[in-house]
Amino acid sequence: MCKKLQILWLSAISCNGNAHSFLNYPQLDVFLDNFEFIYHPIIESDYTLEDVINKDLDCDILLIDGAISPEFKKMDEPIINIVDRYAHKAKKIVTVGTCATFGGIFSQSGYAYTTGLHFNQKNPTFLFKSLKDKTISISGCPIQPEVLASTLYAIKKDIKLKLDNYLRPQEFFAYTVHNGCTRNEYFEYKIDNHVFGKKEGCMFYDHGCQAPFTNASCNKILWNEVNSKTRAGLPCMGCTSPDFPKQNLFKTKKNMGIPQDLPLGVGKRTYLTLAGVTKAFKIKRLEEELF
Amino acid sequence: MIKLIEKIEGEARLNFSFDKNKKIDFVDIEFFSTRNIENILQDKPALDALVINPRVCGICGHAHLLATVKALEDCYQNIKIPKNAQILRELTLNFELIQNHFKWFYLTVLPLFGYKQHLLKATLPSQTIAKAIATVGGQYPHTSYAIVGGVVCDISAMDIIKIESYIDEVISYFENNIVVAKSEEFSECDNVEKIMIKDGDLPKILLNIKEKSWEYVGKSYDRFITFGENSYFQSGKSIKTRVSKNLNTDDVKEQLNQNSHAKNVTYKGKYYEVGPLSRAMLKKTPLIKDAHRRYGDSIFSRILSRVCEIPQLLKHSKKLLQEIELNQPFYIEPKTDISKISACGIGIVEAARGSLIHKVELEKGIIKNYEIITPTQWNLSNGEKKNLGISQKAMIGESDISLAEIIFKSFDVCSVCTTH
Amino acid sequence: MQTKKEQKKEQIIQNALSLFAKKGFYNTTIPDIAEALKMSVGNMYNYFKSKDILAKEIIKYISIYLGGKIREVNEQDISTEQKTKKIIELYFKTALSKPEMIDYFLRIYLSNREVFLDGCEGMICVNEFVTEIMIYFEEGVKCGDLRDQDFFSAFGLFMGYLGGMVFLKGENILPKELDEYVDDISYNIYKALSV
Repeated sequence: MCKKLQILWLSAISCNGNAHSFLNYPQLDVFLDNFEFIYHPIIESDYTLEDVINKDLDCDILLIDGAISPEFKKMDEPIINIVDRYAHKAKKIVTVGTCATFGGIFSQSGYAYTTGLHFNQKNPTFLFKSLKDKTISISGCPIQPEVLASTLYAIKKDIKLKLDNYLRPQEFFAYTVHNGCTRNEYFEYKIDNHVFGKKEGCMFYDHGCQAPFTNASCNKILWNEVNSKTRAGLPCMGCTSPDFPKQNLFKTKKNMGIPQDLPLGVGKRTYLTLAGVTKAFKIKRLEEELF
Repeated sequence: MIKLIEKIEGEARLNFSFDKNKKIDFVDIEFFSTRNIENILQDKPALDALVINPRVCGICGHAHLLATVKALEDCYQNIKIPKNAQILRELTLNFELIQNHFKWFYLTVLPLFGYKQHLLKATLPSQTIAKAIATVGGQYPHTSYAIVGGVVCDISAMDIIKIESYIDEVISYFENNIVVAKSEEFSECDNVEKIMIKDGDLPKILLNIKEKSWEYVGKSYDRFITFGENSYFQSGKSIKTRVSKNLNTDDVKEQLNQNSHAKNVTYKGKYYEVGPLSRAMLKKTPLIKDAHRRYGDSIFSRILSRVCEIPQLLKHSKKLLQEIELNQPFYIEPKTDISKISACGIGIVEAARGSLIHKVELEKGIIKNYEIITPTQWNLSNGEKKNLGISQKAMIGESDISLAEIIFKSFDVCSVCTTH
Repeated sequence: MQTKKEQKKEQIIQNALSLFAKKGFYNTTIPDIAEALKMSVGNMYNYFKSKDILAKEIIKYISIYLGGKIREVNEQDISTEQKTKKIIELYFKTALSKPEMIDYFLRIYLSNREVFLDGCEGMICVNEFVTEIMIYFEEGVKCGDLRDQDFFSAFGLFMGYLGGMVFLKGENILPKELDEYVDDISYNIYKALSV
């Protein structure tokens, strides 16, 4: 019988969305055979929050959920002190969600210098620099439960994950949200006739979809095992990105008709050449309703 | 004496003071830390609120989305929201309520009565109903599928069948776990004693309450209010059982609280209870009428009414699902672009814990002011000794602070919402 | 480095251009072009299978040439106003030094659409040229110099204006040389398109 890894789920400036998203993990019972939460914001644990703050608990993995700030206190104790203490004890640290990784929405909460653990949007932070080597980032607003669970399993099994520049496992974050979207054909042929409330059409051209340049596996590992925003007709909001949230999220920023943000790795001239070619042809099937 | 309450979507601190008979004569309720969502929204483009506001909360974010879209639509002079969109919005709201109630019952309530928290009993039905939300909205939590003009999705007959089977699955789950009986029987029941003799986790808790003689514990002012009218919930206020309609949101006032980050809220200067018990009193649900007749607005009635909403909403959702007309639109583009709108709007929905009010002020499509009033602000208003808030009144007079915690949690507290 | 075949192709194209300019498109035949180059007609067909194919290759050739020149301007670190003037300058310079190119574009490509129907749908054959104009517009809007508007409104203004001037020159109506109009035209275009 192998030992369960002890996880401390520490919530900082957070909405609890990640905790609830994690509760949607389909094999929670098996997970809890392998891991134990010494503290969790929802699941019962042997220790209370007061124990976490006042005592010195053993923990294998520290999960940080929410943005951090030197000004923010958890029960009168500065969060950075709690993070510091447990981060040095833990063998691995995982930043859960975009706020904990990059600062996210709550970086605008009004506390002084609110950021993610190692990043303030795209820029590195220095307070916890020494901990970078043992950190894995899982960005997302919220995270996909399968991504967090798989990462924790990888830690348990000592699997060395390839990480990107933001410490995110490439297995999940090398893909773009665009991979696997059911509206791809409309994108391929540059058909910009999307209207809301219709299953046809691609939302990249007019409605602000950030899927072609956002790193995540939403259309590969579906949400709630059944769907994704873009499949449902809601544009990708780029929630795993360092600069989430941008502004004017439902509108594509265009300069003289050309989208400002292009698909990942695709140069402007390449994009315009492709657009020029595809715009010359009309594909009747894609101009009409599917059924 | 200070007690820290945790795992209530955040934390709160209760500071009890006792009289000479060692009975609680005052409770100061303190919520820590805010995220200043109302400031984050300042000067943002209106539609961005549809993405930011679900992040007020991880368990009732969907209610925030729907209140936001209604507030924005209220800023228009003439806007037509297609019936299909209204139905889907109500359905996904119901699904979120159901998920909240399951989680509250199995994760919060069970441990209060000495039982171990039953994680899987909370997550299994929640995961299933979340699939129903995701079928329509793409994902759960944190979808923004309701936008000004309707909804973004275009569902098919097969989607409706899928959603119906998720609902059936959850009904079956309820029937096998919460109250072992046909949910039809439960919905039509008007006598609490018939429930108590059944098998199931709910009767177990209700019997436990009676065994400990707690059935009259936790009574407050017996004053209820519900703002979010839809095809199921009715709005109005109920003072004991006397119902009056025609509420005016102008009479809702917030006040800053000295110690806490949560603001108090009153209607015409008085504190009111919101939530499932309030909704049941306004609808005059037979089973809750009976519970209230016997035990007033105690923890018995409060717990029963919350759990009772599960099969009621499941049943109502099945009915609503059939009203979707697939050949009708799900979205109608508003005639005026939001960037031209300068107006105020209010959006009200019934979130899991009670009435949720969003107020927005737009200037050429930019948010100039945003106000959120959450249900927990109503129930957990931190009043003064001479004018106690709802939950304070409910806790006064008890000597055991563990019991006071049970009374407190019977309101289903959401700390992140309250401090937003 | 171009291959021998590519060099020969270019030579054919350049000669074809002069002949089209002198005699007109429909009056010039493949044998005419072959003769001017002292090639056999059979050999000509090795390079260009038909006159229509040659016609399309020529427009692509011009597009690549002009596109390349505009790209050089786009890649310079100068203001939008300066870029505008440089694009107009190079267009007029081409009109002066290689009149058959601009002539081909205006009098043959634009005026004989039926030749270019199949294989040159939309603007695919002038892709390189149009792409560079799009980039000039896009970067101008992005840095706040040019007004954001529909691409075609701006394109029509720019190209229509330039094309019109070249046409007038071709009809010998303009009293002055094209390059003497650069300043006024740059000013007009920039004023019309800027914020």
